[in-house]
Amino acid sequence: MARRWASMDDFEAFLDEGGIVESDDHMPEPYREAVFRFIELHANSELMGGLTERDWIPRAPGLRHKMAVLAKTQDEIGHGHLLYMVAADLGLKTRQEMLEDLFAGNSRFHNVFHYRAKTWGDQVAIAFLVDAAALASQQAVFKNCSYGPYKRILRRIIAEEGFHMRFGEERMLRIAEGTDTQRTMFQASIDDWWWPSLQLFGPDSKPGDLLLRWHIKSELNEVLRDRWVQKFVPLLHGYGFSIPDEGLHHDGTADRWVIGPIDWEPLKRTLRQGGPDSARRIAEAAANWADTRWVRDALDQVGERRGAA
Amino acid sequence: MSSTLEVEVRAAVAAVDDPEYPGVSIVDLGLLESLGVSGGRVEVGLIPTFSGCPALAMIADEVRETVGAVDGVAEVEVTWLPGPVWSVERVSARARERLASDFTVAVAVHLGPPPACPLCGGRTSELSAFGPSRCRSVHRCTSCGEVVEALRG
Repeated sequence: MARRWASMDDFEAFLDEGGIVESDDHMPEPYREAVFRFIELHANSELMGGLTERDWIPRAPGLRHKMAVLAKTQDEIGHGHLLYMVAADLGLKTRQEMLEDLFAGNSRFHNVFHYRAKTWGDQVAIAFLVDAAALASQQAVFKNCSYGPYKRILRRIIAEEGFHMRFGEERMLRIAEGTDTQRTMFQASIDDWWWPSLQLFGPDSKPGDLLLRWHIKSELNEVLRDRWVQKFVPLLHGYGFSIPDEGLHHDGTADRWVIGPIDWEPLKRTLRQGGPDSARRIAEAAANWADTRWVRDALDQVGERRGAA
Repeated sequence: MSSTLEVEVRAAVAAVDDPEYPGVSIVDLGLLESLGVSGGRVEVGLIPTFSGCPALAMIADEVRETVGAVDGVAEVEVTWLPGPVWSVERVSARARERLASDFTVAVAVHLGPPPACPLCGGRTSELSAFGPSRCRSVHRCTSCGEVVEALRG
């Protein structure tokens, strides 16, 4: 049964007690909008990520990697598909409108997909660093997410991303234990991808962050970012790679890694579609959508025929 | 009459979960087709949900590892068998429950009626033959509106 709340205070009290909102509930509009924007960003990122992954199907070294990249592409596109449906159910934009906004450059997707993956080393760095950052953010959302339809889909996405992570680790190990050429290539990839990965978590959370207040997110950006740093600095050092941060040092008393100042300009540029590869990525995604129109039309016709039968 | 070792080996295989469904055993999903234990040598025959599944190597590695750790096992051979073809009839009741409660995933019989919604039990209609994996389709519940994935085959 659809529920209704007398006031925002009542609604927030419901959320604070761990209440879960369903799509047919009469939720306050600001909450609806915030959840929608969050899921739309996630859906766009899955789609853009899937398209990047797809570029590497023909170039992956060996059958096993090809199968993994192929499956990962299907996973990401499938996640996007599910998320667009859940987002559309909120009634603010249809899936078609969300896609049109994305292809017109009027919509956001994660910063990491505004950069170009130039080598297989980049692809491994993405699978290893970026996927871990994305997974950590998703886990933090899932843990205490107040929007039911999103939470249930996240449960599956997280299980599948965990599987991708294991592939990422396996590929990273292979390259780390590889030849000098492979190691040099991977070091260059770390140099390029370290900061974008770290910035995926976003700037420090603001005290009045509505996403936190409404239990859409459950942890501060800086907490998630720091946890990621504490994990990956020793890991990469352990394999003999360096990290492109001159300010990075180990605080012996606290036994923690402390990073240098973060330059947020690159992140801000990606928010305005002004990242190094934004224009090409968006144009390719739009062209891909147009090129595959006949497949959707054919499927629609089959569906109509089945429906008529 | 199975030997104690065979029982232990079977339990070890059952302890391996599907990498995409943590908590759901590969045995409950119907992947275990044959098991041979003779002396310290174990032969495990598995079948994939679909042949291009990217998790095959990972699952085989894990089976090798868990079975290899059983006391009295000296050698483990894991083979992906070309047949019989896996189908959803092989998925156990326990796995079905887990998939529904933990993952909101239904189980759809090939060419059968659309599966019931794991949330409310309502009728679902298929939206797409393919979901995030080849072995899953995407449905929507006509009653509560939930977006549901179905394991199919």
